[in-house]
Amino acid sequence: MSPKTPILLEAIDVEKHYGKFAALGGVSLQVRANTVHSVIGPNGAGKTTLFHMLTGTKTVSGGRILFDGQDVTHEPDHRRVQRGIARSFQVTSLFLSLPVRENLRLGAQGVQPARALNPWHEPVGARAQSQVIDAVLSKVGLENLADTPAGNLSHGQQRRLEVGMALAARPKAIFLDEPTSGMGIDDLDDMKRLIKSLRDEHTVVLIEHNMNIVMDISDTVTVMQMGRVLAEGMPHDIRSDERVRTAYLGNMITGGKA
Amino acid sequence: MKKYTHFIFAAVVVAAMPLLMQSGSLASEVLIFALAAMGCNLLLGFTGLLSFGQGIFFGLGSYTLALMLTRWPVPMPLALLLATVMGALGAAVVGWVAIRQRGTYFVMLTLAFAQMFYFVAYTATGLTGGDNGLMDIPRPNLSVFGADLWTLASPWQFYGFVSVIFLVVFWLLLKVSRSTFGRTLLAVRDNEERAAAIGYNLRLLKLQVFVISGAVTGLAGALHAMMTGLAPLSNAEYHTSEMILVMTVIGGTGNLFASLLGSAFYLLLADWLSQLWPRWLLLLGIALMAVSLWMQRGLWGLGETVWNRLQGHRKQSADTVVAPSAAAVPAKGEQA
Amino acid sequence: MNIYLLQVINGIGIGMLYFLLAVGLSIVFGLLRFVNFAHGAFYLIGAYFCYQMTRWGMSFWLALVVVPVVVGAIGWATEKLILRHVYATDHEFHILVTVGLALAVQELVILQWGPLGDSVAVPDVLQGVVMWGSFIYPKYRLFVIGFTAVLAVLLWWVLEGTRLGSAVRAGSESTEMVSLLGINVLRIFSLVFGLGAATAALAGVLASPIRGAEPFMGIEALAVAFVVVVVGGMGSFSGALLGGLMIGIVQSVMSTLWPEGARLMIYVAMAAVLLLRPHGLLGRKE
Repeated sequence: MSPKTPILLEAIDVEKHYGKFAALGGVSLQVRANTVHSVIGPNGAGKTTLFHMLTGTKTVSGGRILFDGQDVTHEPDHRRVQRGIARSFQVTSLFLSLPVRENLRLGAQGVQPARALNPWHEPVGARAQSQVIDAVLSKVGLENLADTPAGNLSHGQQRRLEVGMALAARPKAIFLDEPTSGMGIDDLDDMKRLIKSLRDEHTVVLIEHNMNIVMDISDTVTVMQMGRVLAEGMPHDIRSDERVRTAYLGNMITGGKA
Repeated sequence: MKKYTHFIFAAVVVAAMPLLMQSGSLASEVLIFALAAMGCNLLLGFTGLLSFGQGIFFGLGSYTLALMLTRWPVPMPLALLLATVMGALGAAVVGWVAIRQRGTYFVMLTLAFAQMFYFVAYTATGLTGGDNGLMDIPRPNLSVFGADLWTLASPWQFYGFVSVIFLVVFWLLLKVSRSTFGRTLLAVRDNEERAAAIGYNLRLLKLQVFVISGAVTGLAGALHAMMTGLAPLSNAEYHTSEMILVMTVIGGTGNLFASLLGSAFYLLLADWLSQLWPRWLLLLGIALMAVSLWMQRGLWGLGETVWNRLQGHRKQSADTVVAPSAAAVPAKGEQA
Repeated sequence: MNIYLLQVINGIGIGMLYFLLAVGLSIVFGLLRFVNFAHGAFYLIGAYFCYQMTRWGMSFWLALVVVPVVVGAIGWATEKLILRHVYATDHEFHILVTVGLALAVQELVILQWGPLGDSVAVPDVLQGVVMWGSFIYPKYRLFVIGFTAVLAVLLWWVLEGTRLGSAVRAGSESTEMVSLLGINVLRIFSLVFGLGAATAALAGVLASPIRGAEPFMGIEALAVAFVVVVVGGMGSFSGALLGGLMIGIVQSVMSTLWPEGARLMIYVAMAAVLLLRPHGLLGRKE
């Protein structure tokens, strides 16, 4: 990864207060295009809050957010989706009664929400966006389950569909919030491969607790603690950083390649 | 062919009623309330919005038609159209306000509006006739430039008229339910928050479905006024909204044809039982409880289950949507 | 006597009855997250059981004690046997099952006692008026105010002072926490539901000498209870009290100025609260 890769997303001194509680106390961050940028830190560090700020799920209390050169600080999430920011959720949030294919179609359609008001035309033919959906289905490995209701999938399959829904929006930046949470060993490897493969066409911002994955596939790692950035750098630098070790009470940063 | 199965079912029922039933008025009533139930179904079955306010739109339709036909020389087709528009407008107002809240608060807002409408209708005696309602509503023949195309005087002649309107509206609503809009509504019903997060404008979506629901319900109210010659205050009562909801739920939510089933079930049962036992509503209350507890997909769901058992394999009709609770228990997402 | 003073006192009396009617609904919602459309039905059978007991020659006082207990037991059984099974389904069906129940109960009442309605006599010792200078007021209505005030204090003590009350209040915050603490949440649900039914029935008994017993009073009571609970705040005891008194007084005073408008106004107030401050005046913010 060359240092000259353009910056796609930037957070400048972002703050978030819930009443008197400061969830984020001035966080600055730069995410470069076509990289995998992981955000790690102990529970309560503010990782998910930072995600909410970057994706527009919640509004900032202070600071700015720039995406692709534009100031998007005050844009809500559905506006940012149209700019090319999509996210998956830590707690699976799918359309359970609808088939996998339909879930993906809805994710793809969300980029053009006005079309969703069309009460006459069915989403067939060109409107079905089959190419996008088929591409995503194969990427997340759910081709055989395309017509199964999302509620009938296994947990690991549902987590993959979560990622798939964000992908269906063909975003420039895709935010994955603990994509492997609750997954078993087999599913983990599939997910790791999936995330790694996204780098070519997308920029990936990742919250993860699984250090194996983080150290193995990240280009940049940002460590957070108590609402602030503690350290940032390449995986092996972070692994040997004293402050980070202390923050994690010593020995939890393991795994990945030496 | 599969696409039109439900429409064919509906057409069969429409054709069968004159052969099987004696009362043209009752048959017309079945179709009229099927329209109202479909309007309710769009909100409840497709979007997950439980509205106790359908009586508002039904009442608005009745009053509008009554006023148009008794006070001003408005041609009947135009009166019907205006009643439909009033239903849509009423729904736009109620919807615009009510959708600002979700869940239980939304339901209670529709209740509050229903009560407000009732008391306004009660007091605005100049427009609504208050407690007496509006009476002596004529049933003009369908005519173009003075030439009578279609006499509507007898019950079965009126039924013919209503059945054409019903089938046209049914077909239109089928198209809506299958459209991009209709499919997006299902997503809203399943998981509002996610739908909003991936880019959809919930307010506009819900408002649009309200307007369509209100229009169809207003049309039903207008046809009812034409049939009975009355626009009574009771159309705006809680019981009317309750009745429409019961028909929708017992028939089966999420499936337009099921609303016809629900309407037929309710009205035919009422007609048959009320002569035998005036307290037949007791059975209906129990039926509603039974459906809520064990048969959430209603009569249609029951029919489907029986059919599948006979067929020996599982399949689901293209036009039925599965309620989230009817899908297999989803694997729980865990927190890391 | 000043007519407005009279109406305000009437309003307090009505308001206290509204409080009694609404407090059960509010607490049930706070704990079970359940809007009980059958709540009015408990009020209804409270009034009718009282009527039946007086028909059998028993005293009103006996009815005042026995009826709430009996109806409370019915409520307890209803939750345990019927409602519990619906928690797993979509929330629409929670509401609809109670709508069905209310309808069934109403029809059963008509089946048993006829569609017309009956009156209940004011107990002998409370007949007539109290005279105190220029202040003249029916004895029974004063009794209602006093009795419900005592009851309010009693309920408050139960909620604040007993272990059951603490469990209920904790459960309103988080049922998960409560079950982790080892308290049998389901049993509390049934008890609370029964308590809600009992208070509604008590309101019905108290109201019956004033209003009689009539099959459609359940729907009317439900509508008013909803308004009180929304305005006061769902899940709040003091909200039910404040809301009840406010609605009662406003309704009573308005009835001399603009009777039909009074009914309209309370629903406008309900809608306004739902829009501007959905958790009500004293309810907890979600």
